[in-house]
Amino acid sequence: MADTDRKERAEVEVPLGIVHSALLEPFRTRLFVDDEMVVDAEITYDTAHRGIERIMEGMPVQKGLILTERICGICSHIHIWNGTRMVERGLGIEVPQRAHYIRVIGAELERLHSHLLFFGHAFEILGHETFSMRAFMIREPVQNMLFVLSGNRVHYTIPVLGGIRPRCDIDKQKKQTLLSMLATLEESLIQFRDRTLNDSLIVSRVRDIGYLSKEDAVKYGALGPNMRASGIAYDWRMDVSEYRDNFDFEIAVSDGGMVVDRVAVRVAECIESISIIRQALETLPDEEPVNVSFELGPMEYQVSYNEAARGEIYDSCALDDNGRILSYQNRTPTMSSLSAMEVACIGDHLTDATITIASCDPCLTCTNRMTVIDEARGREYILEPEELRRLARRRG
Amino acid sequence: MLKEISRKNAVHIMLVYTGGCNGCDIEVVNAVMSPFYDMEQYKVMLTWNPREADILAVTGPVTKKFEKALKEIYEAIPEPKLVAAIGTCAITGGPYANLGGDLGSSDQIIGGVAKVIPVDANIPGCPPRPEDILQAVASVIPLLAGKR
Ligand code: SF4
Repeated sequence: MADTDRKERAEVEVPLGIVHSALLEPFRTRLFVDDEMVVDAEITYDTAHRGIERIMEGMPVQKGLILTERICGICSHIHIWNGTRMVERGLGIEVPQRAHYIRVIGAELERLHSHLLFFGHAFEILGHETFSMRAFMIREPVQNMLFVLSGNRVHYTIPVLGGIRPRCDIDKQKKQTLLSMLATLEESLIQFRDRTLNDSLIVSRVRDIGYLSKEDAVKYGALGPNMRASGIAYDWRMDVSEYRDNFDFEIAVSDGGMVVDRVAVRVAECIESISIIRQALETLPDEEPVNVSFELGPMEYQVSYNEAARGEIYDSCALDDNGRILSYQNRTPTMSSLSAMEVACIGDHLTDATITIASCDPCLTCTNRMTVIDEARGREYILEPEELRRLARRRG
Repeated sequence: MLKEISRKNAVHIMLVYTGGCNGCDIEVVNAVMSPFYDMEQYKVMLTWNPREADILAVTGPVTKKFEKALKEIYEAIPEPKLVAAIGTCAITGGPYANLGGDLGSSDQIIGGVAKVIPVDANIPGCPPRPEDILQAVASVIPLLAGKR
């Protein structure tokens, strides 16, 4: 993080991106390197800003909620679920318990596929093709389960105001299929866990790098598994009633703060997710999955939090008299996790920096934000760290 | 000569993500690299180096910030080259391009890829299934040979 001195002292600057094989997504990393060691890092992301919050203003709320799903193709369900929960709470819409269960199943399947994608990506960066391919291979049945559940592999659109879409309802046959797929998945995941975490090659490559202390994790706001890998035992699922009241599960925590801990926490979470899905499938209440008797109307400003695969997600919005969105706000975990990684790379070998950055599981589609509208000069731009500092200096 | 033969025997796809939701992006990676669909067995590889690419696969709507980079990448790919727009966003700009009603078009997004560089193949879907991507790639490879 931004210490100009250190940057000037650095021998070489290594820019990666915006299109780079190790990053996959468009963001730009500048590593300031002194004798192969990273002394400072700077991550900028602004190329994928689409202005979704702006598009949503004035939209009918049902339509707007579907658009929230298009924020991200990895964690699509959690966006629409969190938005729907918020509006349901605001308007006092009753939701059948069965719908809650199916939404939880969707969210946990999503966590599984997101974490498996992370393993695939991280091991690819390490150069360990075999494990990377293995992770992708295990991920495929998860996608198939989502397909069986909802009829689509990526944007499943399970929740709707008042419950879930009828096509995502789980009948007897679907339940059997899902349960048997889950059993196979669990077996391969446990094998994968035992092999990965005991593999000396992998462990030697991810141990002792990318250290993020508990204090730094709090200071820079690492979230989700990144925070739990630095020893902070918090997960929004402990406070979201759909999870807390219905299921037994444990929160995976590790104190190390290294890349290996971030991997291990995610592996443990995968196994937990399977147990939650099984509980939900086995105890699925028998009732109508959607409540259609409600009225849309004005809604005061509401907020809602939930635990996405990468950490805390926050939504807030207000509705006008016709149930149209007045303003919508959505905050996702990658932004603060990624800034924590700027700190975590410092002191690492150059070759370790990309895996450190990847180990926070960055997902940039939701992160491009903070557009400043400078009306006087009639231009619009996204605030980058550089500019923030410049602004700060101007103030001072 | 040697270069021509080798290029004909291995098709390289360069994947550029210009600001979509990542859904298409991952499905392409899934179709090419993952062992389940495994396009690599047909000697179709992913690359991030424009100079060794034959097909430029673009996913997502083109944001204004990305326009220059996309053009530069396109220029850097040697002839003959093909461009595939993958997903609804890359074809029309998808849900992001139009703010709707009196608001008109978005400030951040130019729209489909075709507005920036010439496109040879459109693969619709949100996102397209890996099977569709496989089929599409199989159908454009003869085009590539024809261009040669
Ligand atoms: S077409 Fe759909 S999946 Fe693809 S980038 Fe656009 S919104 Fe995402």
